[in-house]
Amino acid sequence: MIKGMYAAASAMITNLARQNVISHNLANIDTPGFRMLLTANEDWRNTDVQDLPQYPNTYGNRLLDYGTIGLGVETIEPVTDYAMGALRQTEEPLDVAIEGPGFFTIETPNGVRYTKDGRFLRDAENNLVTSEGYFVLDDAGQRITLPETGTLVIGTDGSIRADDNPPFATLGLAAFNDPRTELVGDLPNTYSAAAAPTGTDIGQVVQGYLEDSNVNPTLMTAQMVEVNRAYEAAQKLVQTQDELLGRVISTLGRL
Amino acid sequence: MPTLSTSSLLVASRTALLAKMLGVDMVSQNLANVNTYGYRGQRMNFQELLNDRTNINGVQPVATQILLAPGRLETTGRSLDLAVDGDGFFPIQLPDGRTAYTRDGQFTRDADNNLVTGDGYRLIWQGQIPANTPDERITVNRDGTVEVLQDDGTLAQIGQIGLVRFTNPTGLIGYGRNLFLESVPSGAPVAGNPGAAGFGSINGGALEGSNVNMASEMTNLIALQRAYSLSTRAFQQVDTMIGLAVQMRRG
Repeated sequence: MIKGMYAAASAMITNLARQNVISHNLANIDTPGFRMLLTANEDWRNTDVQDLPQYPNTYGNRLLDYGTIGLGVETIEPVTDYAMGALRQTEEPLDVAIEGPGFFTIETPNGVRYTKDGRFLRDAENNLVTSEGYFVLDDAGQRITLPETGTLVIGTDGSIRADDNPPFATLGLAAFNDPRTELVGDLPNTYSAAAAPTGTDIGQVVQGYLEDSNVNPTLMTAQMVEVNRAYEAAQKLVQTQDELLGRVISTLGRL
Repeated sequence: MPTLSTSSLLVASRTALLAKMLGVDMVSQNLANVNTYGYRGQRMNFQELLNDRTNINGVQPVATQILLAPGRLETTGRSLDLAVDGDGFFPIQLPDGRTAYTRDGQFTRDADNNLVTGDGYRLIWQGQIPANTPDERITVNRDGTVEVLQDDGTLAQIGQIGLVRFTNPTGLIGYGRNLFLESVPSGAPVAGNPGAAGFGSINGGALEGSNVNMASEMTNLIALQRAYSLSTRAFQQVDTMIGLAVQMRRG
């Protein structure tokens, strides 16, 4: 009986954790390049259910095995959904989006990271940086220094030129065949990879656009309803088991 | 799985509500200035907020960014209306001695024949307008030279208006009154004459309109409102869930 109560309580905690992930996704629905986190539940390990035999049986006085029972539920580490977000036109010269599965390569204090967030800026030293000030890297893994003047044109292959001059740098782009296993979320809105990029299908670079988050408001609303009901049901279960336990104690105590 | 405390569950939605509110403020400011000459739209950049890899806390504003799209040039015919066709800014003397920078070229003359902005702040330039010169006789050329038509029909050069550019104008700090101040991200101001590379040239008798794009601002507003109400809903739901946990004992 206590087992069941803790199993129900674990369902409550699990649904709180799922709700936290949903809240986080919804908070970032307008964050360019944000990839939504998906949650899933898994049950804890099961345990054997055994009992003493009520009467001597052919097997002797051994414990009877009734099978197994689950002990509860927990959320697994959220999985990132790497599907593309919509492109939003901003007309800013240093807003860049990748129309495809590719990532930008950036240099952070933690090392090289990958991001879909193309809100780039020029810093006071003419480096191309992200909105948080991390350096954007070129295809050779070097920081990109922009010329002091000239209209910047970023080609679909990521090449950057000023006015009609030949390109002076190319954005470092990376693609991963299986980002879910190759990438892990790291600093805000960036991902780190244990190994070198494996993919070849990067897609096209579009200047003057940003890629929106891929948070799906319909899915999130539906999940919220689901979480709410599952949580309520689990809460009722805890109460019911508590009532039953109370009744058992009072009834049996009277005997 | 990260440890969850009930208060931390409300954080993700709360940060979102605060951030979207700031976003709406910024959109409102942009929309209010859709007809302000020389106005530069601004954008609030939001970023995911993580305390560590497993501790997800919603969203935070990281920086405001001044938008660089040029505004439309409107011809006014007034000789002291100046528009910059390029990246330069006019340097303006603030009463406290600092220098501010503006794209708003609606200049007038004060009692001492100084060129001043609508708020009476002086334009910093080399030269002086002679007394008793009607505005119509003053011409500002594309290279910033200022000429006065004299009684005998000849043009006399009386000065030079210079411009200032920044390495990263998106990082300027808004001062209000359509003025900007330099900042660490913007880099130090670089002075130069109109027409030099990167400064742009001056259009006399014209003004630059606001660079706010009404359609994208309205779209942003709608998106922000929806995001706000979704996060409100998430906040309420977490509140209900906490409430249910607290009430369990009574059952």
